[in-house]
This record gives sequence, C-alpha cells and structure tokens, in this order.
Amino acid sequence: MTRLVDVPAQFDDRSFEQFAGAYAEAAKDAERLLFDAHAAEWASPYGLVGLLAAGQAARSAGSPDRPLLTAPTHADVLTYWTRAGFFREAGELFEIHGKLPRVKPAEQSDVLLPVTPVRAAEDVHAVVSNIQQRASAILASELGLDPKATMGFAMALSEACQNIVEHAGTGGWVAVQAYHWRRKLARRVVMIAVADAGVGFRHSLEPTQSKRFGARWSDAAALEAALIQGVSRFRDPGRGQGLAGIRRYLARWDGKIAIRSGTARIAIVPKWDDDVPLKDGLPAFPGAQVLIIIPEQESTTP
Amino acid sequence: MIQHIDVHAVLQESVSGVYTDLVTRPTGRVVRERIERAMATWQDPVTVARIDFTGVGCIDYSCADEIVAKLLRDRRAVVVLSGISEGHREAIEPVLAGHGLAALIERRDGSGELEALGAPEAAAALLHELVARRLAVRTPAGTIALTLA
Repeated sequence: MTRLVDVPAQFDDRSFEQFAGAYAEAAKDAERLLFDAHAAEWASPYGLVGLLAAGQAARSAGSPDRPLLTAPTHADVLTYWTRAGFFREAGELFEIHGKLPRVKPAEQSDVLLPVTPVRAAEDVHAVVSNIQQRASAILASELGLDPKATMGFAMALSEACQNIVEHAGTGGWVAVQAYHWRRKLARRVVMIAVADAGVGFRHSLEPTQSKRFGARWSDAAALEAALIQGVSRFRDPGRGQGLAGIRRYLARWDGKIAIRSGTARIAIVPKWDDDVPLKDGLPAFPGAQVLIIIPEQESTTP
Repeated sequence: MIQHIDVHAVLQESVSGVYTDLVTRPTGRVVRERIERAMATWQDPVTVARIDFTGVGCIDYSCADEIVAKLLRDRRAVVVLSGISEGHREAIEPVLAGHGLAALIERRDGSGELEALGAPEAAAALLHELVARRLAVRTPAGTIALTLA
C-alpha cells in the first residue's frame, strides 16, 4: 500500500508544518510513500531541501521501494525546481513521475547556490568556495551590506553546513537563494536553507546534556541548549562556537535563524518578523532543518 | 629565533583541490597538526612563531578555534599572527575571547607593530610578558614591536 504526502502549493518554512504533519501520519506504518507535488506553485529553498530530507527519511524507514514523487505540473515551477538543482538530488532518492525539463542548474541567477549535497568536510569547502564570489555582489549591491559582510556570510554558511557533517550522522543538503520577499518584508532577502534527516539535536546532545535537564529533556530543550546556550555534544571547551557565531552575524545584520528538529522549532526573531521563538509539540520530523534569512538593510531601501 | 609559517601553503598541502578557505574542524585540525610538526622539527629553538595568514580567504569559527586557540593553549612558543584581514579577525576575536585567550597580531602596514586580540585581561598580560621577556619593546609611539627580526 502507498501512503500519500501532499506537498503544499506554497512550500516554505511556514507550510512545512503542514507537510511534516502529513509526513508523520503517512510514515507511521512504514509503507511506501508518495510525495505529491503536482500542484506545487512555489517552493522556497527551505521547502526544497526539506522535501529531500523527507525522501531521505522515507528511504531509510523500512519500505524496500524508493518513495515516489509526482513532479509539479506547472512548467515554470518545474523549470525553477530543476534550475535550483532539486531534481539532480531527488533522482537518487525518489522514483520521480512527471516529465522533467532539460535545463542545467542555475549558474547566473538569484539562485546563489543550487541544492547541494553536504556529506563531508570536503563538501563544505566546495560550498564556501562557490558561494563567495556570487554572494559578494548580491550582499553588497542588492542587500546593502558592507562588502566585509561577505566573509561573515561564508562563515555562517560554513558553520550551518558543518552541523550536518558533525552531528547528523548522515548527509544533507544546502541551498542559498536571493529574492524579493514581497509577502513579508517588501525587501530583498538572502535565504540559506540546510536540511538533513539525521539523528537530530536531541539525540546528538543526549549523552552529555540529558542528565542536566532531567525530566525537561526534549527536542525543545536540546534546541535551546544548542542555539541559546551554545552547548555542544563534545566536551572540548572550544565547541559550540558555530551557532554562536551565526547568531552574532545575524544580530549585526538584523537576520533571522530558525532551527527545527524532531517535534520542536526554535527561532531568533528579529523585529521585522512575527515568528514564535520556541514551538514544541510539532509533528515529528527527522533530522534538523535550518533557516537563515538576511534582509536588505533598511537604509538602502528607496 | 622567529619561525615563519605560511598557513596558505600548509592549507594547500592539507586539503585536496585548490581551496583557499580555512573552514571545517577536520581541516583546522590537519592544518594545526602540520603547524605543530613544523614547530617541533625546526632546527633552532623557536621563541616566536609567526603564523602568516596571507592568501587565506575565509576562516570560520571552527578553524579559528581549532588552529589559533589550540596553538595558543599549547604555548610552545610566542605566537604572532600576521596577514590577518578584517574578516579573519571577525572569526578569531570572539573565539579567543570565549576561551579567555589573547593573540598577538602583526599590523599589515609593514611597521612590525603588534596589537593584542582577544580577552582584554589576557591581552594585557600577554603584552606585559613579552616586554618582560624582552621579546618586544614599547616604541616611543606607545605601541609594541618585536625585538627579534
């Protein structure tokens, strides 16, 4: 029997909860899953890497068959997903139904970094090396960030990707895109999305942190320990620098970070956003999904 | 004796490809171990190790911790960082401050003048120690410069 998981028509970090709920329900009995994206109209980088993480989880969940994926039917959406590098990665995870266009992943567009696998430190080197030249132009000219902010951006990206290598116990994906965020801000933003279907923050921190939290130990507590307290699973005193460094960078440029893992989601919420700092009791979804948003600086907005 | 270590060259030997960025903890570990080996096998006793970051692109926090903080904790020699850009400082400074450590930075203007970066107390103690050991002197302008060439 095949279980259906609807992919939201507008697939971003908000609608991800609807997707995660459908996934959690469908994945209960380890049947083959069908991810139905035929009606998809738009997906943010977060949606795309989140869908790959779901495919990764479904593949390792027990069903002998690869999960199915119905590709979007709208030609523009299909072209965009292809240019964003989604299908290059999805081909290994899903049995894809639908005709895919023959276009290469974007090299000159708002897709600063197409969906890229992150499995090892070498991949992080490639990501950081690829992003700097393209990000530099976007961050300085379009977002009004000081040119020096490019290196901080690369650092933040590197640390976000390293969370997969160091903690997930499996591979994951990263994607970076710039776009005009009309709905929320009426400004341009750069979005970094990182996702994996690995062990998640709670499992990663459990050996060193669960005793400290006692009965309060949960996905939410693990996220709070990692993002707010800078706790790491390693006892080395230098660990935990990565997320702290990302927070410093985002504080300087009025950015946002949100991390979802297991049944919880934590966010450092800037003034321009109305997100909730901590949500618990969400539908269970494997691994960790990280969202980083850096907005155009207000002084540069005409 | 001052030993000069070219981090960019060490990085090129340490990772495959032609990457110029010091990112990821495994890379930082390999680079630090190579630096430590170079310091240990230098023919003369090393008093000052000038770790030159010229040509290095981005340094992330993990590498700043793995290389700079751990070399400083080891205290085999006085470590002077040179070729440090603003971006490098952004990664190194908070890492050192978090550890309560300080490092000496050689200014990029060719003056040879030093400044201390990191935790303020550790920075003051480091400069005091250097002058007391006569490895550095206070210049008439009130700055600090190495006495060794």
